[in-house]
Amino acid sequence: MRYNDKELQALSRQPAEMAAELGMRGPKKGSVVKRRLVKLVVNFLFYFRIRFGPIGALLLEHCRVIHEEPNSFSISFLEDPERKYHFECCSEEQCQQWMAALRQASYEFMRRSLIFYRNEIQKMTGKDPLEQYGISEEARFQLSGLKA
Amino acid sequence: MKLNERSVAHYALSDSPADHTGFLRTWGGAGTPPTPSGAGRRCWFVLKGNLLFSFESREGRAPLSLVVLEGCTVELAEAPVPEEFAFAIRFDAPGVRPHLLAADGPAAQEAWVKALSRASFGYMRLVVRELENQLREARHSLDLHRRSSWKAVSSRCKPQAPDRWSSGLENGHSLSRDCSPMGLVEEEGSRPAGRGLAEWELQGPASLLLGRGQSPVSPETSCFSTLHEWYGREIMELRRAWLQRARENQPECKDQDRP
Repeated sequence: MRYNDKELQALSRQPAEMAAELGMRGPKKGSVVKRRLVKLVVNFLFYFRIRFGPIGALLLEHCRVIHEEPNSFSISFLEDPERKYHFECCSEEQCQQWMAALRQASYEFMRRSLIFYRNEIQKMTGKDPLEQYGISEEARFQLSGLKA
Repeated sequence: MKLNERSVAHYALSDSPADHTGFLRTWGGAGTPPTPSGAGRRCWFVLKGNLLFSFESREGRAPLSLVVLEGCTVELAEAPVPEEFAFAIRFDAPGVRPHLLAADGPAAQEAWVKALSRASFGYMRLVVRELENQLREARHSLDLHRRSSWKAVSSRCKPQAPDRWSSGLENGHSLSRDCSPMGLVEEEGSRPAGRGLAEWELQGPASLLLGRGQSPVSPETSCFSTLHEWYGREIMELRRAWLQRARENQPECKDQDRP
């Protein structure tokens, strides 16, 4: 799959939701923990060599964030839940902060939230809150777009 | 830069909703040489969230390319002859080449430009936050009307511990503030950290409530045991904390009205 490296690099330089030095271990068997600068930008998790450039990115759609003992969490993806990217934090508090941020860092999460809010507001007030923005017909905001 | 390509491709092919799809002609990008006639190469494009994927055909089993629609603008563009109905995705960052695409007709062109312009994560986040505020306000005003009707309903239901339930839920304002979709209607900076939330599967909190077909605050909700089930863990924790405080407090200390 082709993608533009410069586009991703530019994105990695955007303001981050969260950024910290964490211990990171890749999913391959026998990987060791390495200190990385980890940055959450929109629905991507970038990881940098400290003081050097970005190494890679993880798209956070359809991912699962699990607490690992101690002070750690892992990210895995729908198509291979056993393949985990492991991150070590310096404290349980930092770990919880990252987990909370990562669980909300997907477009799909936002879509579901929006549809939920829209539905709730509509039920409570009888009005579609998206109408005033002229976006009520957009495919991305339809209830039908949700899986059961 | 490395990318979790297998997961990205899996997401592209999954049945998560596509925000826009259609055939577009593309050229000018690396690896997409124009056809001998000079026209762009026709591919099947799928927009999911802020990600634009292309496939060789509608049945394509692997995406050909990915464009991340962040930090870019989408505008109508001049297409090289014989192309028409072209538009360009231009990135703000210097040194990043624009993507040139052409639709089959003016309606498709307009639809694509619209869809792509609103594809960014930031745009979605803005709309979600706006609705969050609206819902919070709607709930707040609904709360003030609901207090008396909740008291009446609680006496009709068969609660496990009648005293605890009715007193705990009398404080209707705090209930609705704390028990909204987890993490979504909280004040800025107060994350659900340390509350022992189980890891979320793929669903967000909203889907938990939507799937049941009823709303926790809708007029049809008649039984508090159902409400309790919906709010799940968070209610149980709140309840536990409340009971704890209630034991420690004076018996005559009643729930106050929160501002």
